[in-house]
Amino acid sequence: MSTSILEPAPAAACAACSTYRAARLKKLGLDLQASDFVIALAGNPNTGKSTVFNALTGLRQHTGNWPGKTVARAEGGYEFGGKRFKLVDLPGTYSLMAGSPDEEIARDFILFGEPEVTVVVVDASRLERNLNLALQVLEITDRVVVCFNLIDEARRRGLEVDTRCLSRDLGVPVVATSARFGEGMPELLQAIDDVAAGRFVCQPHRLENQPQDLKSAIATVASQLLAVHPGLPNGRWVAMQLLDGDESIAAALRSGELGQMERVEVPTATDSTANTTVIDAPPSVEAIEKILQTADSLRRQVGTQFHERIVEAIYADAARLADRAVTRPGAKQYFDFDRTIDRVVTSRVWGFPVMVLLFALMFWLTISGANVPSRWLAALLLDTVYPMLQHFTAQMGWPWWLRGLTVDGMYLATAWVVSVMLPPMAIFFPLFTLLEDLGYLPRVAFNMDGLFKKAGAHGKQAMTMMMGFGCNAAGVVATRIIDSPRERLIAIITNNFSLCNGRWPTQILIAALFIGALVPAPAAGLISALAVMSVAGLGVVLTFVASWALSRTALKGEPSIFSLELPPYRPPRILQTIYTSLIERTLIVLWRAVVFALPAGAVIWLSANVHFGGVSVAEYVIHFLNPLGVLIGLNGVILLAYIIAIPANEIVIPVVLMMTVLITKTAGLGRGAGVMFEMQSHPQLLSLLHAGGWTLLTAVNLMLFSLVHNPCSTTIYTIYKETRSAKWTAMAALMPLALGFVLTFAVAQVWRLFVH
Amino acid sequence: MTTVAPIFLTLSAILGGIIVAALAWPGIGLVARNRRRRVNAGRIQREDALKHLCNTEAGGRRPTLHSLAGALNIKPDNTGALLRDMDQKGFVSFASGELALTPKGRSEGLQVIRAHRLWECHLAEETGIHATGWHARAERREHWMSPAEVDALSAQLGNPTHDPHGDPIPTAGGDLAKDGGEALNALVPGRAARVVHIEDEPANLYAQLAALNLRPGMRVEIRDKNEERIRFSADGAEHEITPILAHQIEVLPLPETEVGEGVETLASYQPGERATVLGLARGSHGSERRRLLDLGFVAGTAVEVEMVSPSGEPTAYMVRGTVIALHREQAGLLLVKSAEALKS
Repeated sequence: MSTSILEPAPAAACAACSTYRAARLKKLGLDLQASDFVIALAGNPNTGKSTVFNALTGLRQHTGNWPGKTVARAEGGYEFGGKRFKLVDLPGTYSLMAGSPDEEIARDFILFGEPEVTVVVVDASRLERNLNLALQVLEITDRVVVCFNLIDEARRRGLEVDTRCLSRDLGVPVVATSARFGEGMPELLQAIDDVAAGRFVCQPHRLENQPQDLKSAIATVASQLLAVHPGLPNGRWVAMQLLDGDESIAAALRSGELGQMERVEVPTATDSTANTTVIDAPPSVEAIEKILQTADSLRRQVGTQFHERIVEAIYADAARLADRAVTRPGAKQYFDFDRTIDRVVTSRVWGFPVMVLLFALMFWLTISGANVPSRWLAALLLDTVYPMLQHFTAQMGWPWWLRGLTVDGMYLATAWVVSVMLPPMAIFFPLFTLLEDLGYLPRVAFNMDGLFKKAGAHGKQAMTMMMGFGCNAAGVVATRIIDSPRERLIAIITNNFSLCNGRWPTQILIAALFIGALVPAPAAGLISALAVMSVAGLGVVLTFVASWALSRTALKGEPSIFSLELPPYRPPRILQTIYTSLIERTLIVLWRAVVFALPAGAVIWLSANVHFGGVSVAEYVIHFLNPLGVLIGLNGVILLAYIIAIPANEIVIPVVLMMTVLITKTAGLGRGAGVMFEMQSHPQLLSLLHAGGWTLLTAVNLMLFSLVHNPCSTTIYTIYKETRSAKWTAMAALMPLALGFVLTFAVAQVWRLFVH
Repeated sequence: MTTVAPIFLTLSAILGGIIVAALAWPGIGLVARNRRRRVNAGRIQREDALKHLCNTEAGGRRPTLHSLAGALNIKPDNTGALLRDMDQKGFVSFASGELALTPKGRSEGLQVIRAHRLWECHLAEETGIHATGWHARAERREHWMSPAEVDALSAQLGNPTHDPHGDPIPTAGGDLAKDGGEALNALVPGRAARVVHIEDEPANLYAQLAALNLRPGMRVEIRDKNEERIRFSADGAEHEITPILAHQIEVLPLPETEVGEGVETLASYQPGERATVLGLARGSHGSERRRLLDLGFVAGTAVEVEMVSPSGEPTAYMVRGTVIALHREQAGLLLVKSAEALKS
C-alpha cells in the first residue's frame, strides 16, 4: 500500500524542524512480522486516536467525527530507529471500569496483552474528562506515554497548556501533538522509544485522595496480594477491582494469569535484585482463596457505593491535575463557535429544515451525478467489453455452454451490478462521510432522537437509515455507532426498509412505465417521481412501525442504554475523506456484491438453458410459482426474478425482461436464453410486459414488493457478521419477506374487489 | 376448478411440517415441554413452600398451614398432603409441635431465594425488561437453575449483595443478612429516610409503586399524613399514596446529618441554567448507572443545560467540557442542586 499519496500537507512542517528524526520513521502498515515492541493506543472516544494511529502506521483506519468509531481492535506497524513497533489501536472508552465490551477489550489488552508502552491519547481541550481514563491506565501499567492531542484545537480555543507540569505530575512523558497535521509526531515517536527501551523510567502518578475507609480496604487487600505476588506492578489496582466485585480479575488471579505479569515486569525492572522472583513457585491455591475471601468480606463492609466513590475520587484527581496543567487566559470554558452553530442546526425553527435541505441536496447530487458515469460504465462493460469477450472466447474455441455460463451468465450479471451500483455509491458515501467528519451527523441524531425514542429506537438510527438509502449492507455496518444493544438490533433489522440504491432503478422504471402513463404526458414525470417518493416514504413509515413493534415484542428484554456525545465541529479533510470512504465503504460493499453476483449470473444462465423434455428449468419454476404470484398480484416471473436476485437487487429488471421473453416466446427481442438485457424504448417494453400478463396491479405490487422483501444476500451476510446470531439474522431476513407477502396479498384482494 | 396448484400443495406441506415439528420435536416441542412441566410441578410446589417458610422465618413470624395455603394459592387439604410429603423428605419437622424448617429445608429454601434474587439482579442489570416484569420472571426461573448455574450468575453479576428491590441476597453458604427497616407509615413527618425495600408481592400493589418510579435507595420524607393518604417526597418528586401501599415500602431513617433539602433532579432544569451534581439516584441500575458515572456525572460536577432537541428529547448538557445528550428519565436519576444555591 502506498503511503505517500494523500499525506496531510503540513507534515512538511515537522520534517523541517526535525528532519533527522522523521527520516528514521518507516511506516510499515500491515507488515507486522517480528516486532520488537508492542504499543497499545488507548483514549477517550473522539480524541483523534485513530488519526494518531494512521499518522504512525500509514494505514487508513476510518476516522469519523463520531464517538466510538473503532469497534474492534486494529493493528499496524512502524519502524523507528531500527526497531520495529507493533501498534494496537484499542476501542475508545471513557473509562476502564464500567465493564462494557469495549472497555473490557481495552482493559484486557493493557493488562494481559503486555504492551511495552501504552500511549494514552487525550484531548487537550477536554483534559479533565480525558485524564480520568489516563489515571486509570496509570494504575494498571507504569509504562505510559501521554499523547496530548488536538493541541491546535486547544490553541484555537485560547487554552494555554503546560505539558511539562503535567508530565511532572503524572510521572510519564507528555507530548503535545496535532496528529491531523503531523505536528509533534517525531517527539511522540521518540518518547515511545525512550519508554520502550527503558531510557525513560516512569514514576506514574497513583491515586491519593480516596476516602479513608476505601483506602484502608484497598491497602489491606493490596498488601495480601503483594505478599503472594511481590513483583505485581499494579497491586492496588487489582485490589480495587476485587473490591468492586470484578469477577474476571478474580478469575485471572485464580488461574495465575495475573501472577505471570510480575515475571514479565521483572526482566525490565531497574533493580536487579527483583530477578530472584522469576523462579518462584506459583502461589498456593489457599493463599489466593484467602485474598479473595478478604476482598469479599471487605466488599460487604465498604458498601454498595464503592464503585461510585472510586470514580468520584479519580475525577477529583483529574480535575486537580487538569487545573494545574491548563490555564484559560480567555476565562471562557465553553466554546462559542460550536454553540452558535448548534443554536441554529438544532433549533425548533431551523433544525429540521436545515436537515431536510442537506439530505435533499445529497440525494440530488447522488442521483443526478451518478447518471453519467453509470452510462459510461454500461457502455464500457456491457456494450464494449461484453462483445469483445464473446468474440474472444469464440476465437479460443470454447464450447457454447462454457461461453454462455461464464460470459453471458457470470460476467454479464457482475458487470450489470457494478455499472448500476458503483457510481451512486462512489458519490453518496464520500458526501455522507464529509457530513460525518464535520460533526453534523450527531446533531441529526440529536434532532431526531425524540421521534425514534417514541418508536423504541435510538436517534442514531436516523444515520443508519440514511446510509441504508445508499446500501443496506453499509447501513447495517454503520449501526456500530449505536452503543445500546437493543436499539442497535432494531436498527439492523429495520434497515432493509430503507430503499437502497439497487432498488431505485426498478422503482423509477416501473413508475415511469405504468404510473406515469396514467396521466397526460406533461405531468407524467412528476407523478411517477411522486410515486417513487411515496414508496420510499412508506419505507420510512414501516421503519418506525417495525421498530415500535420489535421494541415491544421480540426485543423487549434486550438491554438498552442511551447517551449521545455531540463532538466539537472539525473542518473535514476532503481528499482523505474521499479516499477512506472509497476504500472503506464503497469498494468493500462492491466487492461483496460482486462475489455474490458471479454465482447468481451462473444460475440465471443455467436456469434458462438447462432443459428437461424441451422445457427449461426457468419455465418449470415460473409455472410452478405462477399461482402464488397471481394470488399476491404479481406473477411467476417476478417471484423467480426475486429468488435469483437475492444476491443483488440490481438485476431484477434485466432478469424479468429476459424471462418474460423466454416465457412469451417473443421473437426478435433480447439476446438469447439466459442473457440479460435492458431496453431503451418504453412502448416496446410496455408491450412486452403486457404480453407477459402485466396490469397496473402488477406494477403497483412490484413496487411494494421491491420495498418490502428479504434483504439481499450481501446484507444478510453482513447482518450475520454484525449480530453473530442466526436467530436475529433469520428474523431480519424473513420478517420483511412475510410482511411483503401480506402487503401485496392485501392490496391484490382489495384491488380485485373494487377495481376489477 | 378441481385441481390445486402444486405450489399451494408444497406450501401447505411445509406449513404442516412446521406445525408438527413445533408440537412433537423431541425435547423442544410442546408435547415434551408439557410432559416436563407435569413431572416438575411437585418439585416446584415444594420449593415455593420452602421459600415461603424461609421468608416468614426471616420476618420473625410463624408459618401456619393457612399462611402456606394462601401463599401457594392451594386448598388447605392439599397443603396437608404437601407438608406430609416434605416431612417425609426431611425438609420440615413438627417435632416441636409446630411447623418448622429443618436445616436441610432452610438451605434448600435459601438456595431458591438466592436464585430468585440473583435472577432479578440479572434482569435489572443486563436486560431491558421493565421493573414490573422482574418478579414474575424470577418466580419461574428460580426453579430451573442448578446451584452451579446460580453461582456462575452471581459471579457474572459481580456477586451483588442486594437485589434491585433492596432485599439481601443469601450467600452461597446460605447466610441471609438482615436490614432492619420499618414501614413508611411509621416514619415521622419531616424526618428523611432511605428506601431499603419495596415489597414485590402482591403484584398489583407493586405495579402501582413501580408506576410512581419508587425504588430502593431513594431519599424519602413524609410531608403530611392522615388516615387515608400519605403525602411524601421521593428524590424531589411528590407522591400521595394510601397507607396500604405505604406499608409495602420499607425505609431506614437517615442520620440527621444526611438530611438535605432542596434536592432536585437535572430533569427539571431549563436551557441556560446551571447545576451541581450531588449524586446518582439509587434507583439507577447496572450499565446505565456506570455509563452516567463514566460520562462524568459524579458528585461535585458542574453541569450546564445546553439545548433541547426540536423533537422534544433528548436534552444536551455541557459536562466537563463535552456536550452530552441524555433522555429525560436519565436526567431524572441525577440529583442536583442549583449552582447558584450552592455558592451562597
